[in-house]
Amino acid sequence: MTAVTGETPLQGNGLLGQPLDSREDPQLLRGEATYVGDIDLAGTAHMAILGSPIAHAKILSIDTKAAEQLPGVLKVATAADFTDVMPLPCIWIPGGVESHFPPHPYGLPGSRPVLSGDTVRHVGDPIAVVVAETPRQAAAALAAISVEYEPLTVVTRADEALAEGAPQLHEAVPGNLNAYWTCGDKDRTDAAIAAAEVTVELDLVNQRTINSPIEPRGAVGDYNAATGEYTLYASTQGPHNHRFLLSALVLGIPFNKLRVVAPTVGGSFGTKGYLYPDMPLVLLLSKVLGRPVKWVDTRTGLMNSTVQGRDHRQHVTLAGTRDGRITAVRCTSYANLGAYPSTIGPGVATALMGRSISGMYDIDAAFCEVYAAFTNTVPLGAQRGSGRAEAAFLMERLVDRYASEIGMDPAAVRRKNLVPKEKFPYDNGLGWTYDSGDYQLNFDRAIELSGYADMPARKTEARARGKRLGVGIASYVAICGVGPSTRMSKEGMLGGTWESANIRVHPTGEVTVTVGSASTGQSHGTVFAQVAADELGIDPSQVQVYEGDTLKAPYGQGTYGSRSYSMAAPAIALTARKIKSKLVKAGAVFLGVPEDKVVYADGKVFVEGHEDDTENTKTFAELAMAMWYGWGLPPEIEPALDETTHFDPPDFNYPFGTHVAVVEIDELTGETEVVAYTAVDDAGHIGNPKIVLGQIEGSIVHGLGQALMEHAEYDPDGRLVSRDLGHYALPRAIDAPFFTLDKTTTPTPHNPLGAKGAGEIATVPPAAAVVNAVVDALSDLGVRHIDMPVTPEKVWRRLRGESQ
Amino acid sequence: MDLSLNVNGRPEQFAAQPNELLVERLRDGLGLTGTKVGCDTGQCGTCVVRLDGRSVKSCLILTAAAAGSAVTTIEGVTTPGGELTGLQEALRQEHGTQCGFCTPGMVMALGELVENTSDREAPTEPEIREWLTGNLCRCTGYHSVVRGVQRACSAAREDAPAQPATAAASGQEG
Ligand code: FES
Ligand code: FES
Repeated sequence: MTAVTGETPLQGNGLLGQPLDSREDPQLLRGEATYVGDIDLAGTAHMAILGSPIAHAKILSIDTKAAEQLPGVLKVATAADFTDVMPLPCIWIPGGVESHFPPHPYGLPGSRPVLSGDTVRHVGDPIAVVVAETPRQAAAALAAISVEYEPLTVVTRADEALAEGAPQLHEAVPGNLNAYWTCGDKDRTDAAIAAAEVTVELDLVNQRTINSPIEPRGAVGDYNAATGEYTLYASTQGPHNHRFLLSALVLGIPFNKLRVVAPTVGGSFGTKGYLYPDMPLVLLLSKVLGRPVKWVDTRTGLMNSTVQGRDHRQHVTLAGTRDGRITAVRCTSYANLGAYPSTIGPGVATALMGRSISGMYDIDAAFCEVYAAFTNTVPLGAQRGSGRAEAAFLMERLVDRYASEIGMDPAAVRRKNLVPKEKFPYDNGLGWTYDSGDYQLNFDRAIELSGYADMPARKTEARARGKRLGVGIASYVAICGVGPSTRMSKEGMLGGTWESANIRVHPTGEVTVTVGSASTGQSHGTVFAQVAADELGIDPSQVQVYEGDTLKAPYGQGTYGSRSYSMAAPAIALTARKIKSKLVKAGAVFLGVPEDKVVYADGKVFVEGHEDDTENTKTFAELAMAMWYGWGLPPEIEPALDETTHFDPPDFNYPFGTHVAVVEIDELTGETEVVAYTAVDDAGHIGNPKIVLGQIEGSIVHGLGQALMEHAEYDPDGRLVSRDLGHYALPRAIDAPFFTLDKTTTPTPHNPLGAKGAGEIATVPPAAAVVNAVVDALSDLGVRHIDMPVTPEKVWRRLRGESQ
Repeated sequence: MDLSLNVNGRPEQFAAQPNELLVERLRDGLGLTGTKVGCDTGQCGTCVVRLDGRSVKSCLILTAAAAGSAVTTIEGVTTPGGELTGLQEALRQEHGTQCGFCTPGMVMALGELVENTSDREAPTEPEIREWLTGNLCRCTGYHSVVRGVQRACSAAREDAPAQPATAAASGQEG
């Protein structure tokens, strides 16, 4: 059952909303898709990267002579070989703060150099590369490079990095403080907390996680000496962005001489939108050697170099009345940016988290402050649900803590504080203005579907089996559809965040859609064809979609923050409307009637009232051919059908939802099993529910992973303990039951499809829902909070009365 | 050393280093890139192939140890662009693949499970999930894959007319 609210702005033929099969799947199922590791250009040489084995040190010397003598080795390079290459820029500097970054020669703040020359700042910090005939020879030669280090003191926690006497990471960044950033009204919030009937507080660790796309990153550089053109094949979610940043800001080569191609990408979840040293390196070394240069990461390499996520230590406070009305929320967070500011890491740690902390609730006073600090760990970046998941976690933990403090049902407290329907658009006081929503409808549906009322009986039944049953609710609002370029500039984003689409109608009536977005597994080829076919009133099989190659596709910012369907798809729909209006004009000429008598519907134009009369009708295919010939068109109508739209929405969109987790804890072993999970999400109008269902299911399991097992753990020397999949647990098929899923539908007014983001939204609440459920199961033991990941050992200790 | 393998029905002879992994022979030596490498430690299952019918992780086996055996890779399951097997078709219908990087390994591992169910009870949901523990997927959360296997097993059992049809029930809603 599905509840729908609001008006539908759709103009199409009903194809949208249909669960069409993914047209990408057969190729993937046959193993025929080409990922970057499968690219085999003639004459390719192979690159391996030497990462620092220690977390913080001065490099005294690097000796590459022995490595250069080894069989197959073509080139060994260090920082000294790349002195004219700019550092990799950071393009999201939290808005409105004094940010401290190492300077960038172009006036933009710079982050890491392509290779570190005098200091290493985390394990895995790249210091040298080898190019050889085979991958094995390149890897073997790394061992022959000898580096002399002078170790420095190490710090891996944000709060400790800010303390007096902490080791300093960057000369230009005093005290390791990259940014102190705030949002909301501090005085009002402090006053509300001081005056409150009830206040509750929590100290939370939102642990560092590793996104772990199953395909590690890779890059192939191919320089053409005859034309001076560079091609980069990379597992990227933002080829256009990478082209811009690499050409203009890192390599200093003309924009029109760099082509970036994203082949099939094996998952990203946020991590493949960043600039990494390997990208410029394969291009530069291809030029030096006159051969294509290929690099494919290992899993351990990925864990020590690809951006990591979350990682906040927070002190949070909620104030309210005795009868369950929340009056204020406040958060002080220490965010760990890692050793260098990644491409957009500082924005993830501040605005994406802080402006979201009040969640679905109508709260009068809210304030968040973030101290973003550098430490000797892998740089921080986005992780599926980034920022929003951290925010939902703190708020939803606080609500449960508050409910238990005042002795009220956690569902009742939430219900009482939801932003009421009539208050939209709703300014949350932290910087976001929620576009639309019916939170009550969504919340009630989730509570009902989960069988919430039966939980007391289920707890008793579980107890008889030696299990403790707990139930946890988490609601969320997620900012998606990034977004308005001007608005993002105020958040400190150095770059436009619009999206574009081109539609070209071929003489034979087939259609090619190209978009700036780039899929990392979201079946764009299926869904975007559906959008174009829906608007044009033609069969989706007539539409082919291309993306991911900057030579062929129009500009765009790529896939991140669940933006493709609410940014690229509207661009496609608007472009299709341009095509239609041109066909109405041309149709008037061909049919010999005034334009206002011509109608476009169901893939044809016809004289009003003469839909079934072939004399007065031109089909899409006939028009396509006529426009190709261009015969008989008046001067004001250009021949051919080729239109582009650059879509920059008036504001973000805000999907939301409520999840309910039911866990059982084994009294003997402390193991937590998720035995039931209900999710009701609202992403506005959905294009293809089959694709979105897959994303929701995957997202929830990803969130369960953070709650129960995932942790990027560093030892005191800054070595990543969880350095491979034997030491970093990812959820497996046995870790989740089938879910009970439903949706509500509240269209956004901010794009013509009424579409909100969907891809990662269901990763936002599961960690909070599961931890709430675990605390519920243990509450009679006096447990008020338990840190993630909720491992059996932690629970077992709590069952035995030990404190955290 | 000179070795021979039968790969997807074709005899292959080559010289290999003693420390060469089977996955390296398949991908780099024979150009069969459908088999993927997702980890260094035998955890992810993207490299699963069938060795004399049994699914194995080809990143954990030396080519030398596989010498003389019959290897089936994802390329040996269908012809290029050709018709999908029952399992692949069921996974397609359930959209059991998103980025597709884990998919060839899943198809190879699950093939063994599904093939062996036409003549016995269909595997239960826990059995399917247990079978899948050697394969990691970060996109799907496994649900659509499990549904795909259930669908494939029902279809396989329907195709084997002598067997009673008791398909495993799906608890999925939404
Ligand atoms: S590559 Fe073989 S198990 Fe991961
Ligand atoms: S489909 Fe992407 S890892 Fe499984």
